[in-house]
Amino acid sequence: MNWLRVFFHGGLTSYRALFAWLNPWIFLPMLVVYPLFQTVFFVYLGQAANVADNTFFVIGNSFVAAAVTALFGMGQGIAGERRFQTLPILLASPASRLALFLGRAVPTIVNGFIVAAITFALGAALVGVTIDRYAYGGLAVALAASCFACAALGMCIGSLTFRTRSISVFADAIGGALLLVTGANVPLGRLPTIMQELARYIPLTHGLDAARALANGGPLSAAVPQIRDELLVGLGYFAIGLLLLRYFERDGRRAGSFERF
Amino acid sequence: MTRVFANGLRVHLLQLLRSPFDIVAMLVWPIIFASIAYYLIGTDANTRVLFTASLGAAMMMMWSQVIVGSGFALDQQRNQGTLELLVAAPVPLVTVIAPIMIASAAFGIYGLVVTLAWGRFAFGIPISIDQPAAFVLAVVAAILAIGLLGMIAASLFVLSRAASYLGVALQYPVYLASGLLVPLAILPAWLGPISWILAPTWGYRALIHAADGQSAWPQIGMCLLLSAAYVLVALPCLAWFERLARERATLRLS
Repeated sequence: MNWLRVFFHGGLTSYRALFAWLNPWIFLPMLVVYPLFQTVFFVYLGQAANVADNTFFVIGNSFVAAAVTALFGMGQGIAGERRFQTLPILLASPASRLALFLGRAVPTIVNGFIVAAITFALGAALVGVTIDRYAYGGLAVALAASCFACAALGMCIGSLTFRTRSISVFADAIGGALLLVTGANVPLGRLPTIMQELARYIPLTHGLDAARALANGGPLSAAVPQIRDELLVGLGYFAIGLLLLRYFERDGRRAGSFERF
Repeated sequence: MTRVFANGLRVHLLQLLRSPFDIVAMLVWPIIFASIAYYLIGTDANTRVLFTASLGAAMMMMWSQVIVGSGFALDQQRNQGTLELLVAAPVPLVTVIAPIMIASAAFGIYGLVVTLAWGRFAFGIPISIDQPAAFVLAVVAAILAIGLLGMIAASLFVLSRAASYLGVALQYPVYLASGLLVPLAILPAWLGPISWILAPTWGYRALIHAADGQSAWPQIGMCLLLSAAYVLVALPCLAWFERLARERATLRLS
């Protein structure tokens, strides 16, 4: 029972704090206008380069919107504790670490999903993309898998808060790299081989593959392997994130560095 | 006033040079934008086209640094409790805010160097500038104009901490409307007149013309003309929003 209380209460409070204590004016420019115009920008860039159709870029950037939301959300969810000097209190509690951090991941995943859905709906309407409505279920599954994988990567980034003053540097750089390396805006076949190989181990790549296959009329069964791979990548990062958090927590206790700024 | 302006420039540039976030962001983002452009256009395309894309990516970073970086710089002043002191200083607010904007734009030179170096060493794109003097002047004019365009938005940043997030949202619309990386010819026609009043449009064109050996003076002139116009718009905006911020006592709210 206490596990569930920590999971839900902790997660919800942390999510509310992300918006600097409930300021809706931050949500609109950051999570609606920014990803929408990013989508439109890359749609036109794609048209200028004549590389892929609008659907490619609308799906790519909707997923990136979810990824960035999850990366920053999860990262800041942990880093914010240090900033507001509540990290030592949090870590002194006997609460399950899995409940603590999984609780922070769930609202971030839901948020990323909603942001991606808004970006997709508005972006598709603006540039005239239509997708068969039977594909939406599969797209939602692929998106949910990507949101989980990105939140897991965000947890790895968040764990760095024990060692560095600001994790925004990492979240921003990695969020930017996802635009390029995952094939969100450049077809993977156009990237160098080393980047294509690297992309297989990065969240989004497999989710995007699945989503594009579904949007092109492919059956859900054909996209299942990619969705499975995306979930596996996410599970891998989630495990690494938990291990990093545990390691840095122990190290922080030994060094007495939780409150060092 | 000159001392305040010069000191403001120096202090903000020093802060930028010691900010890991700004240094890393200005290193990573131009590389990402330029690389996406190169891979989409095709790395085997005409090197002149790729070089133009590099300049577009650099100009994008200059605008982003002004509109996002300076917004967060003002937020930082708010968090540290120094924004009230800056606003209360016995000098016009513009002499305090303008250096932050112009220093942010000047930091974009780092982005320009990164982009050109990345293009040269990673993709073999030659750095070929036919009129170096005009190119340097174009960079200076672009910094001034983009910094002062940011000052109009900065008046909003003074009013409320939430406003600085507006800067994040204003990045891509200006990239699009200025024809940076995406040619204006393929965009809706109504964006044309909007592009004329945006400094990045003329800064970008000035850089391209100077690099290509064409006359860049009309574009540099437009940058200077727009700079003057932005000051005329920003002054009343700053005064108005400063008064509002004082009335609502929002300067300290962090």
